[in-house]
Amino acid sequence: MSGITRRTFLQASGAVAAASALGLPTLSQGAESKARVVVIGGGYGGTIAAKYIRMADPSVRVTLIEKETSYISCPLSNEVLSGERDLASLTFNYRGLGKRGITVVRDEVVGIDPEKRVVKGKGKGGYPYDRLVISPGISFRWDAIRGMSEAATETIPHAWKAGPQTTLLQKQLKAMRNGGVCIIVAPPNPFRCPPGPYERAAQIALYLKHHKPKSKVLILDAKDAFSKQALFVEGWKRNYGDMIEWVSAAAGGAVEAIDPKKRVLTGSVEEFKGDVVNLIPAQKAGALAEIAGLTDASGWCPVDQQTFESKLHKDIYVIGDAAIAGALPKSGYAANTQAKVCAAAIVAALNGQPAPEPSYVNTCYSIIAPDYGISVAGVYQLKDGKIIDVPGAGGLSPANADARTRAIEVQFALGWFRNITADMFS
Amino acid sequence: MIRSLRLPLAVTLLATAMGAHADGIRTAPMLAHTCAGCHGTNGASAGEFMPSIAGMDKGYLYSVMSDYKSGMRPSTIMGRIMKGYTEREIWAIAGFFAAQPWTSTDRVASAKAVHQGQAIHDRLCESCHDDGGREQDDESPRLAGQWAGYTRYVLDVCRSQGERCRPPKMGTRVKALSDAEIQALASFYESEK
Repeated sequence: MSGITRRTFLQASGAVAAASALGLPTLSQGAESKARVVVIGGGYGGTIAAKYIRMADPSVRVTLIEKETSYISCPLSNEVLSGERDLASLTFNYRGLGKRGITVVRDEVVGIDPEKRVVKGKGKGGYPYDRLVISPGISFRWDAIRGMSEAATETIPHAWKAGPQTTLLQKQLKAMRNGGVCIIVAPPNPFRCPPGPYERAAQIALYLKHHKPKSKVLILDAKDAFSKQALFVEGWKRNYGDMIEWVSAAAGGAVEAIDPKKRVLTGSVEEFKGDVVNLIPAQKAGALAEIAGLTDASGWCPVDQQTFESKLHKDIYVIGDAAIAGALPKSGYAANTQAKVCAAAIVAALNGQPAPEPSYVNTCYSIIAPDYGISVAGVYQLKDGKIIDVPGAGGLSPANADARTRAIEVQFALGWFRNITADMFS
Repeated sequence: MIRSLRLPLAVTLLATAMGAHADGIRTAPMLAHTCAGCHGTNGASAGEFMPSIAGMDKGYLYSVMSDYKSGMRPSTIMGRIMKGYTEREIWAIAGFFAAQPWTSTDRVASAKAVHQGQAIHDRLCESCHDDGGREQDDESPRLAGQWAGYTRYVLDVCRSQGERCRPPKMGTRVKALSDAEIQALASFYESEK
């Protein structure tokens, strides 16, 4: 929280001059009183909002508040379970954003005062803002399955936030006997990363195929259908034979209760016992969204889908998994695209202009095996205030594609990761 | 050069015909920033198999994206994505990336690969891809400093298409290349910064 650097100041003065030349209203005469934007959460959404606000208008002072010193990506963390990569390869720091003139502060936000427009952290003092962006991610609904609790994740990992939970699940798989059963409990909609549980099944099967080939992966699902379903079923079969079994809710896959000590799950029809149980709980917006009064009865955050400004609090914007964003899924790419739309809307508002017409894209790759990838893509537009698919665009990888297509999609998945993380952190 | 004359006309006609798409006009940065998740900030790619598109020729980018949309150019994912844009929007996206500075990768290949690749380039490619692939126009993309993984992939697809590769004269030449020659050629171009 040092004051304005010389470099930032020079950029700021330049932008004010440029804005005047274009006939745009400037907010003030000098950089000192230019607009302040605070961004909370340094993940797929928050980093991009901070960076793209600075790119569009370098005179805006941007502070990014994040409670960790580094970030571990959830996308690609299923590959840690197969042993294809380690967590270090998914870990990033915030130095690149600092170089862009963004003030990055390590602090834990404890409250937001929307009247006074101040964010309160655990550290001394507050963070005043003209506009606030929050990208709080998800939190879990522990009450959805009887017997489940946050404490129980020490033996029943969710591994749905990459880090120690991922390592715990990996350790349990390593300790499992050959011939054991790994149960994945897949959550009800809506949840973070719709293809994630099914890619995870494949990555666990990849590990088991090489190290414990008599073992099984059993997916107990709260749903009767899932993302890229036909492609996953085809890919599982081709790469892992009958190793992966999926039980739909209708077939008894909906889990009602768990005994975490015995690793016994109660379904609507029968009981299941796993050697390893990965229970991915039902979800809602990140805790901060709830504390700040930004959630509705659904547990998620209603926003203006053109700007991502909260419908509940003026000048506060919610992006990423926590936001209710029409046809966009809760994915890393969606958080990225939302952050850019939100950044453009905030810069327009700060310069006295109307919100621009938005454009949104989503792309999700899933790696089923090291040479077998699939994808889903979507292009979206705003129609009558709602984010909808552009008709005729987007869709899935083709069914029964040749080996070269499946192999190159893995390379594209890895390239996607390099680029989206570079977009976030450099 | 005929293509560059027909572009603005085609764009004008199509823009009129396809008027109502989104509720309003979407600006070039608004459209183009959505590409960064796979092609890097402002189109400078950090990933081996995604091409850098920043600083590419506008006419070239326009025709490639249009060909993805129509299915003329084969793709795994770009066809699905480009179907979401009008011709006017594709023209705007092309203009945005063409206006960005080109960024070469910071990788260099082994001397052996570079020599072998240079010999193939001189023999088969130099007539359209001048100056080691640095020169570009609306039919020939910049190759110098491009990711070798991407160039290799494109050459591989072109080889499997043979005469159906566009332009056909490229298909005829690439058809005869071995895997090792394609790799050498791709490495040579990446080393030309």
